[in-house]
Amino acid sequence: MTPVAECLSAFIFGTTVGLLVQRSRYCNVAALRDAMLFKTYRNTKAMLVAMMIMTLGFTAFITIGAGKPMQFDVGLNTFIGLFLFGLGMVLAGACTVSTWVKAGEGNIGAIWALLFTFIGMFLFSLVWSFDFWPPAPQTMTGTPNLAGLQFGFANAATLQSSTGIPAIVFGALQTLVLFGIYRAILKRERAEAPVPEPQAASIEASACDAWADSPAEPAVQGALARAEASQPA
Amino acid sequence: MDLFKKTLNPVAALAIIAVLDIFLFLVVGAWTVGGGETMMTGLIAKFFMGSAIDRIPFWSVAFPPDPYYWKIYISLGMVFGAFVGAVFSKEFCWRMPHRLTEWVMITIGGLLMGIGIRLAFVCNVSTFFGLTPEMNLGGYLAVSGILAGTWVGTLIYKKNLEG
Repeated sequence: MTPVAECLSAFIFGTTVGLLVQRSRYCNVAALRDAMLFKTYRNTKAMLVAMMIMTLGFTAFITIGAGKPMQFDVGLNTFIGLFLFGLGMVLAGACTVSTWVKAGEGNIGAIWALLFTFIGMFLFSLVWSFDFWPPAPQTMTGTPNLAGLQFGFANAATLQSSTGIPAIVFGALQTLVLFGIYRAILKRERAEAPVPEPQAASIEASACDAWADSPAEPAVQGALARAEASQPA
Repeated sequence: MDLFKKTLNPVAALAIIAVLDIFLFLVVGAWTVGGGETMMTGLIAKFFMGSAIDRIPFWSVAFPPDPYYWKIYISLGMVFGAFVGAVFSKEFCWRMPHRLTEWVMITIGGLLMGIGIRLAFVCNVSTFFGLTPEMNLGGYLAVSGILAGTWVGTLIYKKNLEG
């Protein structure tokens, strides 16, 4: 595939994603934060369903050697980096998807968040240029390197080659675990008289939209009070 | 058109995205955003700094700026798709944070997201919709990290809400 065709495929995919996320008000921050804070799971369920479909699809193609899985070593930096990211996305009220989507809706706060994401990346590039950690992709070996706090590379393909068991089997097991979490959420929602869908959408959208013109606090604080009231004493 | 009148069920929306992501995985690779943002940072820095950017090893060794890096166009597509959705559903409007605390939170949050992506080599999209479905070891490390970070962020957010 030529670079132009790759870019065009990516643009078509991105456009569809932008449209669907804008119309569904899906928010990745809400998927995690609201499950922890408000005990509402509208976005969490969507994220789990997507992960189940992708796990089955990716591992099915990995089994026959098709697809282009990500190839790089992981290490302590993976955990620390996503810890910082998780903290940052809650403070900013948006993740990598919602910053672009909200920017497309005319949200100046989202554009500001994007600008500072770029600045954060540039600052990191300066620090990396002194300590060269974590290792650049070109110097990764795929094997554990404890001195560099790197654990190497492992995915469904390496599992298949080391055990002889098709990757799809591991994918099916992971899907079952994700489905178990999904069912537990449904059970909890049924037990706790779930927040009606339009109301949940409104709470999560306003909580996610830290930069809305109308203050988000009343809806969010109402949900917070409800979540706290449902906690065991 | 109903799509622009009603809010779409997020489960349906994400299920469609998941199927499309499988096609993307076959053609170029799974959905990711952080890599494209890094490349945009490099291209913007190159625009302002010119050849001086080559003196920063990160941009000459790890991430040489390249306008034909496909991941950039996912982000550009997302902003375009969202703009189309917002215009057709009459939801487009310029909005701005009003309080200083919001600006401060967004600024710190944006910086932490940028630093976190580069430190980990992945963003939240790659974590949940790339690495973990590929059963990459990094996916499990990244999920643990993002859950811990979100939990700490949630404590701060809650404190802020309670004033």
